[in-house]
This record gives sequence, C-alpha cells and structure tokens, in this order.
Amino acid sequence: MTRADYLIVLFAALLLPYLYVSQWSSSEVGTTAAIMNGDKTIAVSLAHDHTLTIDGALGPTIIKIEAGKIRFATSPCLGKQCIHSGWLQQTGEFAACLPNRISVAVLGDAPRFDSINF
Amino acid sequence: MKWLWLNLTLLLAFGLSGCSESPQVHQAKLFTLGTLVDVTVLHRDEAAAARAVEIVESELATVNAQWHAWRDSPLTQINQQLALGNTVAIDAATYRFIQQAQTLASHSEQRFNPAIGALVALWGFHSDERPDSAPPTQEAINALLKSAPSMADITLTETTLSSNNRAVQLDFGAFGKGYAIDQAVARLKQSGIENAIVNAGGDLRAIGSKNERPWRIGIRHPTAAGVIASLEIIDDESVFTSGNYERFFDFSGQRYHHIIDPRSGYPAQGTVSVTVIHRSAAVADAAATALFIAGAEQWPRIARQMGVDEVMLIDEQLTLHMTPKMAQRIQLEIDDAELNIVGGEQ
Repeated sequence: MTRADYLIVLFAALLLPYLYVSQWSSSEVGTTAAIMNGDKTIAVSLAHDHTLTIDGALGPTIIKIEAGKIRFATSPCLGKQCIHSGWLQQTGEFAACLPNRISVAVLGDAPRFDSINF
Repeated sequence: MKWLWLNLTLLLAFGLSGCSESPQVHQAKLFTLGTLVDVTVLHRDEAAAARAVEIVESELATVNAQWHAWRDSPLTQINQQLALGNTVAIDAATYRFIQQAQTLASHSEQRFNPAIGALVALWGFHSDERPDSAPPTQEAINALLKSAPSMADITLTETTLSSNNRAVQLDFGAFGKGYAIDQAVARLKQSGIENAIVNAGGDLRAIGSKNERPWRIGIRHPTAAGVIASLEIIDDESVFTSGNYERFFDFSGQRYHHIIDPRSGYPAQGTVSVTVIHRSAAVADAAATALFIAGAEQWPRIARQMGVDEVMLIDEQLTLHMTPKMAQRIQLEIDDAELNIVGGEQ
C-alpha cells in the first residue's frame, strides 16, 4: 500500500466510531417533543424547564417540561387520562387528550424504539 | 490485496452510515378509533406512504362506526334487538367478526366475555370520559350477574344472530381494536405496503422490517416512567397490552379500572398488566384481556386454550410471569426484576 492508501484506511477507521455512535447507538432519552393541537404541530425542546398553555377544543391544557421530561399537568377533560399518563421522557413515548384533541410525543435524534407498546 | 482492505474499510464505513437510496420512515398520527393512532410506513415514495396512512384511517374508522358500543351504530341496534328477544339479520362480515369473538370467548372460558356490555355500562365505561364518581352498588352488580350473560348464549348462523338471554349486550372493547388493526394491515398488504407499524393507543401490529433490521418495540413500564422490556418483531406480529392504568377512576381513595371480571362484576384484581405477542391483533387483543382476568394462577391454562404462547403477566408485586417463548424473545430494560417462567410446554 502506498502512503495515501494508509491515510485513507486510517481516516476510514477513525470514521467508524463516529458513524457507529451517530447512526446506530440508542439514545433512550428524547431531546424534543412534538405537541399536536388538532391539525397543528409544534416542536418544543426538553432542555429547559417551562410551562405551556395550549388552547384545545375544550379549553386550555397546561403542559409542563421539567428535567428533560414532559407531561400533561392540567386539562379541561373529565377523565384526565392524559394526566394519568404521567411523565414522558423516552423517544417514542406519547400521550394524548382525545377530548381536547392534544397529543404529546417525545422525539430524539436516534430513537431506540420504532414504536412503544402500553 | 491493498484494494481489498481499502474497499472493505470503506464498505464498512458507508454501510454504517446507511444507504442514501434506502426507503424512508414516514409517520403520521391520527385521532380515530377513540384513541391516538400512530402509523409508521417505510417506503421510498412519500405519496405512497401518505396513501397508506389514508387506508389505515379509513379501515379503522369503518370498524369503529360498525362496532361502537355506546354511540349510535349497527352494534347498538343489534343490542336493542337482543334486549327485545328478537333475531337480527346479519351480513357475512358481521358473522365472521362475531364468530371469531365467540370462539375466543369459549377458549378463554368466558374470561374474555363481550356479552357483558350492560355491566361495563353500569360501571360508567360506556363514555369517552368516566368522571371520578361513585361506583355502582353491589345490588345493581348482583342483578346483572344473576342473568350471567355470555357469548355461549348467542346463536349464530351465517345470516342471523339471536340470544336466549336478553341480558346479553355486546361490547367488543377487548377485541374491536385488534380486529380493526388486522383489517387495516390486510389492506396495507393488498396495496403493496410491506413494512409498516399500526399502533392504536399503544397496541400494535408490525409487518416487515426497517431497512433490513427488525422493528424494535419498547413495552412501557406499567407503574413507572420508561420502558420495562423490549423486543424485535419477526416478520408480522402484534403486540397488545391490557393494563389497569389505561382507563380508571378514583373514588373515596379507591381506584377502579376498566377491565371487569365477568365472574365478580368488579375490576379484576391481582394483575397490573398482560402483554401478548401473536400474529393476529384480534387474538392478541382478546387474549390480553382474558389473561388479565384469569390472573397469575390461571393464565397459563387459558393461554394454551387460546393458542397464545408468548405472554408476560405483571402482578401487583411487579413479578414478571412469562411463558418460555416470551422469556426467549424479550429483553428486560430494568434491573432486579423478579421473574417467573411458567410452563415447560407451550
């Protein structure tokens, strides 16, 4: 092999760990969340704690983001199933308030799971 | 030799980075079937993926309209006629649907019992939202238990449906979602879709794979944030979980969930969740409910009778009971789990 060949092989070998981490490793914890309100979707970062008020079909739903997790905090619906869903953190997790037509899905760069069963 | 090494290394590098010509994952979320439905389609053509989502939405909406237990539907009309003691004319699709449910109910020894619609309604679960109000009285429950409605009371022909028990009120809440997903997946296959996941409110059927690797499914922890276990789908499988956390209400410090034991008339006790893997979503749906009600003692026998051999039951002590086949498939995502592998012959 020539010196150029060695350099290319070395470059490719160094590239492998980066590609493995970037394309194949599993990141369980999500980085952002998609909040769907009817037909509209907004993306929010989970990096900073904050509280969002979303006006749904029935009224305002309050969504909390805290320590990289997100949850329905209050909702005008009767059953409160959305609130019972608790904190969502892992990529692919989602919860919904059907009466108020609002859903939350956790997104990440490298989702570990293609779908979540519950 | 030097080119062999060079090509091998570069092949590995590009192989890991993924092929740019690979089909892409397309996802859509729909509000239908009384829940949030997540559709994942792997396809090169975005328009084809969008058509696939429309197919799923259409199929689920059709089943929902046909079998809705408390909004005006063909099913509520059937229930009205059964309460009057009348015979109902049915079509071929209705016959197949009820026949499959009747067979599953029989194999489950009526743990899966779609004939207890009146009991489910008495508990207030025939509504989109059950408020935190008082549970029914013991007297009211006893009155319904006395007539003991079951799918064995139904007389079914290819064109007629009748019942010798006027207390039979059909509610396919533990079967309809699975049936609807099966219908949607069948239509997807007919239209040429080979790789997809239809996830309706956490219960799913997945076909094919994701660019040469299996679809990966996480099973959410029933009592804590995160995932308790994971598995990879083999070709075409459904994963259904029935849990006491899905629908419930609280009253006077007591929690009442929606999985009613047809024998006691009360929410089934002792189980937190049951997960079933089966090719048919309808079978997985019915079995998850039946095995939840059967509980930690009886579920292996009922599972064998229902033809399901990949089951995980989590009891109130958070012990994981599973069949040997499930234990081989599943990867636990928690530490210090207490496992009970049940039955050597599945």
